[in-house]
Amino acid sequence: MASPLHLKQAKAPNAMIEAAQEKTEDAAGQGAVNTRHERARDFEEARKALLARPGFSVRAQIYLGFALVFLFTLITVIGLLMSIYEVDHKVRFLETVNQYLIEIEQARRFEKNYFLYGTNLKDGLENVSSANRILDSNKEQILSITGENVYNQMLSNLKEYEVLINRLLALGDAWDGSEAHAKEALTDEVREQGQNMISLAAELALKERQALTKTISRARRMHIYFLLALLAIMTVNSFILARRVLDRIEQYKTFAQRIASGDYTLITPKRSYRDEFTELALAVNQMVLDVEAREELLIQSHKLRAVGTLTAGVAHELNNPINNIMITGHMFLEDYESTDDEERMDMMNDVVNEANRAKAIIANLLDFARESGSQLAPLDVAEMLKDTIALASNRLKRSKINIEFSSTDKLPRVHGDSQQLRQVFLNLILNAIDASQSGGNITVTVLPADEPHYIAVKVIDYGTGIPKHILGSIFDPFFTTKSQGKGTGLGLSMSQGIITKHGGQIRVFSQEGHGTTFTVTLPVTTFPAKITEETHMSPLY
Amino acid sequence: MSNLDVLLLDDEPIVGKRLKPALAKVGCEVEVFQNPVEALKRIDEKFFDVVVTDISMAEVDGMQVLEHVVAKNNATKVIMITGFAMMSLAREAMEKGAFDFIAKPFKPDDLRAIIARAAEALGKPIAFEAGESA
Repeated sequence: MASPLHLKQAKAPNAMIEAAQEKTEDAAGQGAVNTRHERARDFEEARKALLARPGFSVRAQIYLGFALVFLFTLITVIGLLMSIYEVDHKVRFLETVNQYLIEIEQARRFEKNYFLYGTNLKDGLENVSSANRILDSNKEQILSITGENVYNQMLSNLKEYEVLINRLLALGDAWDGSEAHAKEALTDEVREQGQNMISLAAELALKERQALTKTISRARRMHIYFLLALLAIMTVNSFILARRVLDRIEQYKTFAQRIASGDYTLITPKRSYRDEFTELALAVNQMVLDVEAREELLIQSHKLRAVGTLTAGVAHELNNPINNIMITGHMFLEDYESTDDEERMDMMNDVVNEANRAKAIIANLLDFARESGSQLAPLDVAEMLKDTIALASNRLKRSKINIEFSSTDKLPRVHGDSQQLRQVFLNLILNAIDASQSGGNITVTVLPADEPHYIAVKVIDYGTGIPKHILGSIFDPFFTTKSQGKGTGLGLSMSQGIITKHGGQIRVFSQEGHGTTFTVTLPVTTFPAKITEETHMSPLY
Repeated sequence: MSNLDVLLLDDEPIVGKRLKPALAKVGCEVEVFQNPVEALKRIDEKFFDVVVTDISMAEVDGMQVLEHVVAKNNATKVIMITGFAMMSLAREAMEKGAFDFIAKPFKPDDLRAIIARAAEALGKPIAFEAGESA
């Protein structure tokens, strides 16, 4: 007998075969189809949820911001144009009033001269008619500022002044008698009228000048407020826009890191609106599905490589039962006549048992090699480890490595994919074989982990150990220390991916010259309740 | 015709169980071992004309048995059983002084034929003609 495991396998071939058959039955591919189908459904749900939100694109926000700024600028420009128009209007009015005043003042100068020297009163009338022309030609302008009452009053003042002067002229040069009294009274009236006209016009001009100053200072304030408001609008809009875009970029950075670490959760809506990043989210989700599918292919091809390295060993392993059958069969034929019934029964029993042994060897290999997607089931890790060690038993035997397997009783099951987990264990065991020297030992243990609700599988070799400087790289894809063509450098990277997917961890502890321990921790299944109860009853917990 | 002393070493129990009578029929005195360590001990005690040993075994492999036998007595003919045709191993065995090798799975007559040739070479022919029943 080669190893304790070998012994077990030979002793209970029927149990092994039954187990193998069971595995074949529940692996009809249904699980794989379901999982793939479920993923597609998740993807579709995420897509719908992402698209169901009302749209508010970054582009729309940019356009809206520009439109707002433009609208604001437009209003302000219109306001400024109106102010300029108003200023212009007032300046023109002031000019008109000035001209008017000049004419009146000129008329009054003639009036004064007349009173003093009795000259040129007629000339004053010309100024009056000039003032009248000014009022007349700027009627609309004056009306728009002073209103009809003031304009009419100015007009009537002018008319009355003209009438008074004419009356004064009609009196002639007589300065005596009753006419002189009348003339004196008229003179006072003319003076008063002239004074009134000037003060009215001056008052108007003053008022308008004040209004002009006000308009100008209002326009100045408007400039400043407009600038400040524009600055505020643009700052707020840029800030919101920048934060929106940068936050998303940060978010996608996190997604990328998450996906790189093997977490293939699909992106689901986080904001209440949809935008350009929604398209990105859909594309990333699609990518995640594709990456997942590719990874499955990669795992499968890597698995087939492992099968390739095992096949030689398995063929050798198969030769033993076949040889036994052949020898027994030939001797049965040769000695049929001389053999008694008991001996014949013994021979045929050997033949049947050896045939079963061959079948179990093949079933174990095929079960491992068979292509299938992820199928989750509660798994007995100790059983899986025994099967895996059986698969590698010939490699162990040929390398003359003794493997010791121990497990704690009544360990809870883990929820996972038996093929993928066995691939991880096989990988670790084959690595341990490669690291060990001929005649060395490998220890495989399964026990409750330090953390509650986890179990730990330890694969320990006492070989060369891993040098410190490469210890950090061993889980990197395509990292290998084996010669070209011997290793893909994907084993540990893939194992880590598989274990991460199962919610567990792979840790490594290595001392150069003393060996290496790989520890795989896996969360135990929380159902069915019975198993959990057993767990609590177990003194080890 | 004197009996040929044969030691048969294979860790598969059925091999010894079935081949012992098969070889006895052609005039061999067969001692069967499953444990190579015990077999080596026996080789040290007694001279065998022919040693038939499986190559792949735990603890001590067939190659070590061959070296041991050759070192002890050059006259003993060693026949190697290989798991499957591993030409490199077979060649290595021949270089180290094995008489011949036989690949599993084999018929009892295949082994008898090789043992018969070994007996011929030793000058102790046994009652087996190659191709007699094959």
